[in-house]
Amino acid sequence: MGDTKAKSPGAVQTTGHAWDGDIQEFNNPLPNWWLWAFYATVVFALVYWVLYPAWPVGGTFTKGVMNDITFVDSDGKKVTTHWNTRALLLKDLQDGKEARLSREYMNKVAAAGYSEILGDAEMMAFTRSVAKGLFGDNCAPCHGSGGQGVIGLFPNLADDSWLWGGRIEDIQNTIGQGHLGFMPAFRDTFNDKQLDDLAFYVLSLSGNKVDEAASARGKILFQTDAGGCYYCHTKAGTGLKSQGAANLTDQIWTIADVNGATDLETKKERVEKVISSGVQRQMPHWSDRLSAAQIKLLTVYVHELGGGQ
Amino acid sequence: MAHTGIASTQQYNYEIIKKFAVMALVWGLLGMAAGVYIASELAWPFLNFDIPQITFGRLRPVHTTLVIFGFGGSALFATSYYVVQRTCQTRLYSDWMAAFTFWGWQLAIGLGALSYMFGYTQSREYAEFEWPIDLLIAVTWVVYLALYVQTLRRRSQPHIYVANWFYMAFILATAILHIFNNLAVPVGLFSLKSYSLFSGVQDAMTQWWYGHNAVGFFLTAAFLGMMYYFVPKQAGRPVYSYRLSIVHFWALSFLYMWVGAHHLHWTALPDWTSTLAATFSIMLLLPSWGGMINGIMTLSGAWDKLRTDPIMLFLITALSFYGMSTFEGPLMSLKSVNALSHYTDWTIGHVHSGALGWVAMVSFGSFYHMVPRLYDTRIYSTRLVYVHFWLATIGILLYITAMWVAGIFQGLMLRSFDDYGNLAYTFVETVAFLHEPYVVRALGGAFFLSGVVVMAYNVFMTVRQSRVEAAEIEAKLAAKLARA
Repeated sequence: MGDTKAKSPGAVQTTGHAWDGDIQEFNNPLPNWWLWAFYATVVFALVYWVLYPAWPVGGTFTKGVMNDITFVDSDGKKVTTHWNTRALLLKDLQDGKEARLSREYMNKVAAAGYSEILGDAEMMAFTRSVAKGLFGDNCAPCHGSGGQGVIGLFPNLADDSWLWGGRIEDIQNTIGQGHLGFMPAFRDTFNDKQLDDLAFYVLSLSGNKVDEAASARGKILFQTDAGGCYYCHTKAGTGLKSQGAANLTDQIWTIADVNGATDLETKKERVEKVISSGVQRQMPHWSDRLSAAQIKLLTVYVHELGGGQ
Repeated sequence: MAHTGIASTQQYNYEIIKKFAVMALVWGLLGMAAGVYIASELAWPFLNFDIPQITFGRLRPVHTTLVIFGFGGSALFATSYYVVQRTCQTRLYSDWMAAFTFWGWQLAIGLGALSYMFGYTQSREYAEFEWPIDLLIAVTWVVYLALYVQTLRRRSQPHIYVANWFYMAFILATAILHIFNNLAVPVGLFSLKSYSLFSGVQDAMTQWWYGHNAVGFFLTAAFLGMMYYFVPKQAGRPVYSYRLSIVHFWALSFLYMWVGAHHLHWTALPDWTSTLAATFSIMLLLPSWGGMINGIMTLSGAWDKLRTDPIMLFLITALSFYGMSTFEGPLMSLKSVNALSHYTDWTIGHVHSGALGWVAMVSFGSFYHMVPRLYDTRIYSTRLVYVHFWLATIGILLYITAMWVAGIFQGLMLRSFDDYGNLAYTFVETVAFLHEPYVVRALGGAFFLSGVVVMAYNVFMTVRQSRVEAAEIEAKLAAKLARA
């Protein structure tokens, strides 16, 4: 800047240097608006530093003034502290408009019994509002966002078929405690012909037209200790809820995709595969992750999804 | 001041610049293609094909590394060697050192990209290179620094031109950032795996001190260096204000170092650190704009050039995007805005308005000026430069508007409550919403990429044309000699 020649009025001069032949620099002053805007940001920073935690000083830091936060800690004691994001969160969870509103309803629902909730339109609306999120974040990854499940893997919650029972108390139990769905593998028990017979019998239970002689042979395996299927599925094939055993007499298939097959041979193969490999699947328990009130709301929500009993 | 116009290839080392320029385009094409692909993976996840090497998680650092360090880095090597030689009127200090920086850098980029695809990464954003590659980069960079300083020392000009200050700040700061952020203990001498020397919140802090200054010194200061040479050169007008260039250079260099922690608002980071980062980010706004003002005002009195000169169009558009994203940045660094924007695509949009709008556009403009001069010819097709400009501009606009929509709306969805005080949306609903903006983003990326394909073709034809011209001159000369 020192190189600037005396300025002739009205003309901005260059610094007098030139690089690479023709690159020169004017010596215009800093634009005023630029300079003042910069000062304004500095003032903004200074004010910010006064109000909020800002500068480290030795082993501590400046705490900020006129910005204290008061909240109730986990022991129920009232605490006042300098501004910090942790206290801000706690206070928001306690005093926020939404937090208070939600808590108010939550307390009401927690105190109410199931029949009371089911019969009260406002409590039901609240239940749907909470449980939509609970279901979406916890259940939907397996059961799908509408509870439709995945054939072969995860049961459909939106129909009226319930492996472990569709009454309120069954559903609450399922969510809280989880389940181990288990059917033994029969590949070492039966030979290929017996597997065929059994599969035909199982298909006949839900109204499929099959070879009657084969089906009759399968029925014997099913209903006697030779196969022992009836232990869990019952002699009628309707299934014991206490074992989570499927009802084989309806058209609903959750593991073998029978409805997705068009010809009898494929249907038989799919049923056979389940009989020979068995079933091992697990639904985790949620009692550690969700509160009792949350499980209650979720129970009502799932009950409402399909045909709760 | 001696020379004007065409400088002889003897006086300057142009060969090294040509190499870096070509590699910038090669990495640019590959890196942007990877970008379009991973953008498509986000819109249509089946494109991951369950092949680990091409899943989003592994290709994403390939994309960032190739475009930032491959394209951006090579463009900076090329232009810095061009600028330092021409403004100091001296040849690079050492040809072998220059060649060393070329091979070291290209090797590091190539090895890095491959290693990410095969699962080797430090998991530090923009510093994913594992330790052996980090060492290679460190050595290459020290040679770069030494070469640059030695070249400046033997300048035949009394003063060092402003572009070189910015390039120097970039080289020096990058060395410091790279070394400190990559302090790590290898698991074994023959293992690629290493663990950071820092842990917990200190580790996060170090990483974002690095991460944001990579933006500040690699993607801002260095490209301002580029701007300070190519804008006045192409405009044929003096830089607007020498005084502004000094003030904003030092303000930028001083303030940038403080702001990295704004990437860690609302985390385990102490609140005071967060505050300092936010306030320094706000104070950084005007110093950042200093470069924009100086660039755009340089054209004052010659605005008509925008109508006739597509290179100027590139450079001025780049400065406009630079101004926009350096305004957006401080805004997003405020804790209250950050609470909405962070962890959403708004951040991705912000980065790309800087990366595509500023870094890439200013590089394109500079290359269109520089490449014909390197090869002593004219650009093959000015028309194609216009085509490139419009493809790139449309691409950027689609990209950043899609990301604003995606980010701001997802942010609003995540914090919206219903009448009962419960969250109105599940997380997965906010993800499902992103599909359409993601499609538009991939489309924007494809526009931008196709612009670079046009540029690569134009550059290729320019080089070919220069060879033909050289051959013709030689033939004429030979004929003359034969007659004589």
